[in-house]
Amino acid sequence: MDAEQKHIIDLKEVNIYQQKHLILSNVNLQLEAGEFVWLIGKTGSGKSSLLKTLYAELELTEGEGEVAGFTLKKLKTRKIPLLRRKLGIVFQDFQLLSDRSVIENLLFVMRATGWKKKDEIKDRIDEVLHLVGLPTKGFKMPHELSGGEQQRVAIARALINHPSVILADEPTGNLDPATSGRILDLLRDISQQGTTVIMATHDYEHMRKFQSKIIVCENAKLVDKSSETLAE
Amino acid sequence: MSKKEDKFNKRRLRSSYFTVIVSISLVLFMMGLIGLILLQAQKLSTHVKENIGFTVILKDQVKEVEVAHLQKSLDASSYVHATEYIDRDRAAKELQEDLGEDFVDFLGYNPLLASIDVNLKADYANPDSLKWIEADLMQNPKVKEVFYQRNLVALVNENIQRISLVLLGFSILLLVIAIALINNSIRLAIYSRRFLIRSMQLVGATSSFIRRPFIWRGILNGVYGSIIAIGFLSAVIYFAQNEFPALFDIQDQQLFITLFGIVLLLGILITWFSTFFVVSRYLRLKTDKLYQE
Repeated sequence: MDAEQKHIIDLKEVNIYQQKHLILSNVNLQLEAGEFVWLIGKTGSGKSSLLKTLYAELELTEGEGEVAGFTLKKLKTRKIPLLRRKLGIVFQDFQLLSDRSVIENLLFVMRATGWKKKDEIKDRIDEVLHLVGLPTKGFKMPHELSGGEQQRVAIARALINHPSVILADEPTGNLDPATSGRILDLLRDISQQGTTVIMATHDYEHMRKFQSKIIVCENAKLVDKSSETLAE
Repeated sequence: MSKKEDKFNKRRLRSSYFTVIVSISLVLFMMGLIGLILLQAQKLSTHVKENIGFTVILKDQVKEVEVAHLQKSLDASSYVHATEYIDRDRAAKELQEDLGEDFVDFLGYNPLLASIDVNLKADYANPDSLKWIEADLMQNPKVKEVFYQRNLVALVNENIQRISLVLLGFSILLLVIAIALINNSIRLAIYSRRFLIRSMQLVGATSSFIRRPFIWRGILNGVYGSIIAIGFLSAVIYFAQNEFPALFDIQDQQLFITLFGIVLLLGILITWFSTFFVVSRYLRLKTDKLYQE
């Protein structure tokens, strides 16, 4: 890599807090464009907190951090939406807008991020719904979908703006193995096209199939275990 | 389950809007009623004040032409509502009627002087204005005396001021209650959607983008509420015009339209600002706090 090239994610000596409780200390993480990272660790070990820090839901108060060109420390409130537009976030609890259909959920994000042309909007919605295997479910309301389908809508929404980084918090947790595999293939393809993907998961089966960088949250630290073999 | 549940959700949303609209319309109707009472009180106060007046007693030797000239100049002055010239004979006749005996016959001459009765415009019917009007008129060589009941003028003004203050205080109190009630209805309606607001933030929508549809919906509810309130007020006015025609005359139409305009404006402004502040509050809240709400 060119020494001058900037990392898409760059955390240096970051301490992550939930309210006053220290969750992760001295976090150092540098990721390049197109990298695929497995983020693992026990429940409550800080995976979600790390992701929340990356999309500025948790304020970065100690250390230095930069994501997709945005400096996280003292990031102004009005800049947070601009940062999030560069990210595709797949939430553990989906965070779909329950009062509107799948298409309207996607439309909301597109309108909020400046899409104007109807043809382009329609084409892109069709494209992402097809990608996640829901081409016929656009008119359904979120509550009419199964957990797995809702998760796929959340993934479609994360993909819609061609993000620089995808942060996925256990995106396959609610999916059957076949759908999980398809989603994983999709995220890998996207990663190979230059999008950085951080995927928090407990799905060791898929990790073994798709070898990639592994970082672990343990004992309030972030540890790079890419070189270690995964235990059965 | 889906269609049923979908219908149920839509019905629930409509019912929440309906509740907000009903609350807004009832509160605005109360505000409109107070406005109506204030308008009538103002009319009554003007009517009472314009019945306050004074009498300009003219000197004995003043000619008819000079009286006419003086009356004209009084009519043209800014403080006069109406004037009436009472010549000596009419003054004597009126006094004879009051006393019930012919004092001219008894005295052998008419001791009364000609005078002009002046009714003041409401704005000038107060002791201070009357003082300078009196001083001004006394400089006229044709005027012998300016007569009015000082105590009565002061008393009328004092009472009108007291009643106005009570009504004003009551109106302000009601306005505060109106704002609080409407704000509370809107807050409850938006409270149920606080996690939706958070989801919108998480996918990169700016605060103004999130706020906009809420504010539009709020203003629309305000307009519907105002229209219902105006409907109720119109019914009240129609009833009052039929039952108490003396209180409402046709010239009030313009005032009623203004009142309806104020009700509509209040409906829009209160819902606009309430929605703005309530949504902004949820936009500022941290996720943890949303659960503690």
